Amino acid sequence: MRKIEKETVNFIVNGRKYQPTIEPWVTLAEVLRDYLDLTGTKVSCGVGECASCTVLVDGNPTLSCSTLAITVRDKNILTIEGLAKDGLHPIQKAFVDCGAIQCGFCTPGMILTTKALLNENPHPTREEVKRFLAGNLCRCTGYVKIIDAVMAAAEAMSKGGK
Amino acid sequence: MGQEFAFVGKRLAQADTPIKATGAARYAVDIKLPGMLVGKVLRSPYPHARIKRIDKSKAEKLPGVEAVITLEDTPKILYASSFRDLPMAPSGSLQRADEYILADKARYVGDAVAAVAAVNERVAEEALQAIKVEYEELPFVTHPRDAIKPGAPKLHDYAENNIAARVSYPLAEGDVEKGFQESDVIAEESFSVTKQSSGHMETQTTIGSVDPTGKVTCYSPCQLSFPLRRGLAKIFDLPEGMINVVNPFVGGSFGARLSVYNEPIAVALAMKTHSPVKIEYSMEENFTCVHTRTGDEYTVKMGFKKDGTLHAMQIKILTWAGAYIGRAQLAGGIMLFWGMGHYRCPNKAGECEVVYCNTTPSAAMRGYGNPEVMWGVEQVMDMAAEKLGMDPLELRRKNIKKVGEPSNLRLPIESTYLEDCIKAGAESIGWQEKWGRKKEGLKRRGVGVATMMHCSGAYPLLIEHSGAIVKFNEDGSINLIVNPGSPGTHIWGTLSQIAVEELGIYPEDAHIVTGETDKTLFDLGSHASRSTFVTGSAVLMAAREARGELLEWAGRMLGVSPDELEVKDRRVYIKADPDKGLSVSEVVRSAMWDMKGEAMNIAGKSSFAPTPTSVSPPTAAYFAEVEVDTETGEVKVLKLITAVDCGTAINPMTVEGQCEGGIQQGIGYALTEDFFVNKETGVLESDNFTTYKMPGSLDMPETEIIIINKPDPKGPFGAKGVAEPGLVGIAPAIANAIYDAVGVRITDLPITPEKVLKALKEKQS
Repeated sequence: MRKIEKETVNFIVNGRKYQPTIEPWVTLAEVLRDYLDLTGTKVSCGVGECASCTVLVDGNPTLSCSTLAITVRDKNILTIEGLAKDGLHPIQKAFVDCGAIQCGFCTPGMILTTKALLNENPHPTREEVKRFLAGNLCRCTGYVKIIDAVMAAAEAMSKGGK
Repeated sequence: MGQEFAFVGKRLAQADTPIKATGAARYAVDIKLPGMLVGKVLRSPYPHARIKRIDKSKAEKLPGVEAVITLEDTPKILYASSFRDLPMAPSGSLQRADEYILADKARYVGDAVAAVAAVNERVAEEALQAIKVEYEELPFVTHPRDAIKPGAPKLHDYAENNIAARVSYPLAEGDVEKGFQESDVIAEESFSVTKQSSGHMETQTTIGSVDPTGKVTCYSPCQLSFPLRRGLAKIFDLPEGMINVVNPFVGGSFGARLSVYNEPIAVALAMKTHSPVKIEYSMEENFTCVHTRTGDEYTVKMGFKKDGTLHAMQIKILTWAGAYIGRAQLAGGIMLFWGMGHYRCPNKAGECEVVYCNTTPSAAMRGYGNPEVMWGVEQVMDMAAEKLGMDPLELRRKNIKKVGEPSNLRLPIESTYLEDCIKAGAESIGWQEKWGRKKEGLKRRGVGVATMMHCSGAYPLLIEHSGAIVKFNEDGSINLIVNPGSPGTHIWGTLSQIAVEELGIYPEDAHIVTGETDKTLFDLGSHASRSTFVTGSAVLMAAREARGELLEWAGRMLGVSPDELEVKDRRVYIKADPDKGLSVSEVVRSAMWDMKGEAMNIAGKSSFAPTPTSVSPPTAAYFAEVEVDTETGEVKVLKLITAVDCGTAINPMTVEGQCEGGIQQGIGYALTEDFFVNKETGVLESDNFTTYKMPGSLDMPETEIIIINKPDPKGPFGAKGVAEPGLVGIAPAIANAIYDAVGVRITDLPITPEKVLKALKEKQS
């Protein structure tokens, strides 16, 4: 029987270095949730259809449930826990203030996808927001207040937040 | 409109949302306990099979496997997954218990046959593969229509022709046959509705654990914690006090989580291994094994006088129960109550047959039969309006029940502003300009309406009982101890707003303590849109008692009688001399730390168990504007307006959120969500987000939520329920709009382009 080699792999998550010892087949979501105890990243469908598991890898929205962890070694990974050191990031605050969070399970993925959108396009229209979030599934809110929140966050960030 | 509130009625951000925004909220799926094992369930690949032999020896020997269990290793106690096998209804009616922890016979693809607990997921998977089950395949049937035929394969020994229950409408009135004969116009049609999946984003996950004294802790997303505790007590023959049901944050419920699923398996594995065991469903298991909205085929017949007065009504239903009865018995029967509930009618009758077949069981989903039956009733109303030559709005206005008339459960209606809903929604959508116009072109637009009445609690069908504790802290804040967890309905915020409004303090002064049966008073649970109305009333009662104790102690401190005092803005003061007062904090600190031997807590506790002599039903009118492409059959919903009467909106942002979410689920129900079982294999093929299509951001129309906001006399601060109403009338409003656009009526959900094209072709020929 072939022996599976575990490997100690470097990950940079939220600016911090980790070196978990992992099997080559684990997903990024498993590394974050099970090895690093960063359970803010949620797995819903587990097959890349709902974007709940979205994290940013070098700024790009990435489906962590469908990404082999070793393929993102040494890259800069941002999870929901890393968005704000103290208090709430303007995007998080906007989601709270606009009533955009109900059960909250899709929220981390929505917020990080929003961050990627606003990094690329700081002043999106509602239509552009809808398109960018088209892959993020939500069953509670009907998306209306989520879009409100993204627009509010865009305004708050252009006035001086980051 | 009367009293101005400090916090009730304000668009306040919810206290439980920052923790969700930062990823710090722990759902069952995130909880890790020391020594926790991974549990997995072996499921039947056959839709109907005898289980002849299970050989678990190989699985048990795998390194890392701590337990492998079959039915023989569990208490062989039959229970109902709805908990309705134990008393819960004032009428005394009970539901048959028809499930074991692990199946005695496989009755659907996905039925639980064995379970393992192992050190990690991969070993657990390997263990499942290593279990050898000898099945004897049996003939199967995947639709109730086929299951009810003589000679059909029998799922349960007791159920002849697979009929689990027969319900005759208990509130039948008059003489329905005579009524139809006396009617000038009759409208009649047959409809079918699909088994909608709740589609909640957090898959079903539970953790069972047992401590050395034998005390069980069950982490569960179940919406009915105390009934679950009682159910587990029955199954495991334990006293209730030896079970703690913990409700973590929950990633959506929508009614699916009223029932019990993997909890007994997790507890059984925990008992066997003496370790905590977490069972997390995959998304496929979530679709296949978590119970769906009940499917039905039914006919609606309505007879009217020529002036539009409804004179006779009859509904006959075939309800799709699936492999076990789930909640289908009540969900089917209740359609008769909803269906013949919000219009006045002197002659009414109906029946429902609840039928087993080899598929995922049916239970509750948001609206619990009301969306299912309004699909048909609101279309037949439009059919009748056409025959009568009346505007559909006028026909509804003529027949909707008014205040004081008996509700769908024959209790007088305390408040209804359905007329206001119809008026406001019609104006906003532009009904006069758009409805009934001649339509031309390849893409045609139309508008449609639907109305409904729902409930603020399940009484008198089920008992009502909620309790709350309000206790003050020295800083003037309170701990609000209530049972509802956080499934995402913002109930913590609503209950806090009610408490602080009564106590004269601020929303940030309320610290919620919740979610454990060990810590909270009894609460029946979160269902039937009851939490605001019933638990809210319990909170109000407890807050009033606490307020009384606060003013009593303050009165002693200020040398006046408590009725001379008022409390507002965190301050207790003399009404006649407002400058004389004390902060709430000073009063509590003085009472709690009193040095003269008279110390007391400032607190209140309540048990609210109404047997109301009236009901306060929320009502709503839904207006849809659609565009139908006559070449492709595609239906685009351009605009959806929900005008809702839920009494006082404790938090308008919450009400809007419920209604907007309801629109997403309603549009899915109407257009894209379909429960699809392969007839050759019995396998559920709609078991992921690609095959079971739920609306995304681009599928949503322009929405508008109009809150009528007029108070109900009985609700806390005038509030009624709102969680379910958001969904009820969306699908028929869309169907009626399609008829307005292109003159065809779709009677089977979902409305697919194929069905629209077929109907258009048939209309032309």
